[in-house]
Amino acid sequence: MISDYLESLARALDFDRSLSRRMRQEVEDHLCEAVAADPGDDRIAAERRAIANFGDPGVIAAQFAALSLERQGRRLGIATVLALAAVFIAMKVRVAWYAVAHCATGEDVRMVCGMVSTVDRYAFWLAVLAGVGGCAHFCTEHARASLARAYRRQVRLRFLCMAAAAALLVSVTSDGVLTAIRLFAAQFPAQFVVPVSSMALEIGCVAALVFQIRRAAQRTTSIAVLLGR
Amino acid sequence: MLKGHLDLIVLAALSAGPAHGYAVIEAIRRRSGQAFDLPEGTIYPALHRLEQAGLLASRWVTAESGRRRRVYALTRRGQRALAERRAVWREFSSAIGGLLAGAQPRRKPA
Repeated sequence: MISDYLESLARALDFDRSLSRRMRQEVEDHLCEAVAADPGDDRIAAERRAIANFGDPGVIAAQFAALSLERQGRRLGIATVLALAAVFIAMKVRVAWYAVAHCATGEDVRMVCGMVSTVDRYAFWLAVLAGVGGCAHFCTEHARASLARAYRRQVRLRFLCMAAAAALLVSVTSDGVLTAIRLFAAQFPAQFVVPVSSMALEIGCVAALVFQIRRAAQRTTSIAVLLGR
Repeated sequence: MLKGHLDLIVLAALSAGPAHGYAVIEAIRRRSGQAFDLPEGTIYPALHRLEQAGLLASRWVTAESGRRRRVYALTRRGQRALAERRAVWREFSSAIGGLLAGAQPRRKPA
């Protein structure tokens, strides 16, 4: 009977695998203690009482889900801010390197570079606006009261982080185009090192952000089942 | 009403020393004179929330029965939080006590 209960609790907590494993062990110990402390002689009845006293797995899972959304949201917010900061620093370092290494663009591509730079700039600041806006919204709205509220807050954060990631992707792609144009004109292979490294960092940041958004989406979808959505 | 004070209750139950979930529930029952008979499962989200907030720390130990068990303990931050909440509660309790007894509460209302 206890193993059936543990199975259903683990299933209800499946939105967070590590939590599900941990709770299974914790609750197993709890229920065994409760059965051992039961004054009755009938073990089956003692197990039934221990399970009844513990509560409905769905209700317990819903309480954990709100906590899990909180943790996931914080992680997503931090990932977004870090990605934006890292891309910004990489861009600034690359621009500084071009100045130091005297990497100038040719007259023939100057207009294209100007257009791509404009797209880059607007896309980056749009990403900052969406990302910082999402984090600010997440931090200012307290959603501990109910799972439904925590869920709605998480969905809004995810939407804004997705917008930030999309804009950041446009910005990084523009950076890639600008870097490629400059590198075609580069005279020495050593001039490639900083631009290529900074581009790799930018691409890595966007990939990490997309990965976090995907994980948040998977968890939110699993938790939606608890809400009956 | 109990739900609003669950964090304080759990912190107070752990003030005597580290304990696992079942022992926390038992301590709450015993120290409240059986007045607080919570659904046992509700203690775990509270323990995890307090741990996430840095007020508790936990680790696995092996019990005498051979089962693995998670033991929770107050952190320094948790001890400070408990002291603060205890002071707020005493002030509130004293004010309500005075009000119900028909006497003047110690502090002026805001």
